[in-house]
Amino acid sequence: MSTPGSSSSRSALALGVLGLTAPAFALTTSSNNNFVLVEGLALAVFPVLGLLAVVGALIGRRAVVAVAGAGYAAAALIQLVQLGLDTNWLDGSASTFALLLALAVGLLITGLLPEDNTTDRA
Amino acid sequence: MSSTEEQTAGVDGVGREPLERWLLAVVRIGVAFMWIENAGWKRPPEFSSLRHFTELAVDHPVAAPYSSVVENVILPNLAFFGWVTLLLEASLGAFLLLGLLTRLWAIIGITQSVIITLSVLNAPNEWEWSFYLMILAHVALFATAAGRSFGLDGLLRPRWSRSAGQVPRLLMRLS
Repeated sequence: MSTPGSSSSRSALALGVLGLTAPAFALTTSSNNNFVLVEGLALAVFPVLGLLAVVGALIGRRAVVAVAGAGYAAAALIQLVQLGLDTNWLDGSASTFALLLALAVGLLITGLLPEDNTTDRA
Repeated sequence: MSSTEEQTAGVDGVGREPLERWLLAVVRIGVAFMWIENAGWKRPPEFSSLRHFTELAVDHPVAAPYSSVVENVILPNLAFFGWVTLLLEASLGAFLLLGLLTRLWAIIGITQSVIITLSVLNAPNEWEWSFYLMILAHVALFATAAGRSFGLDGLLRPRWSRSAGQVPRLLMRLS
């Protein structure tokens, strides 16, 4: 259990919101490809795990944030292994993997970090 | 800024002006998405687009020794170097987005930008300043330790600064 307003909870909240809103990348285009390729099953995976992280951050449950991070880590690993294969469950690319990796690392750190009451301003 | 605030800014960045912190975060996140998007077109197993741009280092040499390395080492083993590039650029995007160990990743970003510059600077229809600006953007991220502003470095550095030992000291330097 942690304080919902603590700096680690705020970081988890920001990362959760990023995951929750990641389907918006499906609307972006550029000369090369989408900003971040989010389509197919990834359109559900990103926001569902993001919502879990947001809820965990708002109620101050670090374990919930860590579970969301672990979910993103599993998704990142699946995406990495399936890059270049005919089977691509998340319909993603290396850009999808990069965003999943960021959310996994960030949420695992904020979810597993012990509470720090001495400096809580970042 | 008081001496206490200056000391605090050196640890977690909160002594900076709010606008300064927001703008540093915007630059860091913007550069992160540049790497994330461009990791997207590194497609295994052929890495055909990457091969095209790598071959430009041989067809339009910038530095003869680098062209020789590309021709004799990198292109014959592109399956390996393609994965290295993919993982490096995806990680650059991920860690700069988080603001985690930002100074380390800024140095890696400078290195990768120099490699890209050596590959395509003299290629037709390339704007040389786009590569110089890539290098300079990472220099700015390093100089400002941009991960201390709304990044995980800002969250973790106060803990590392209170911990004894070589590892926390190293992490302080890399962030």
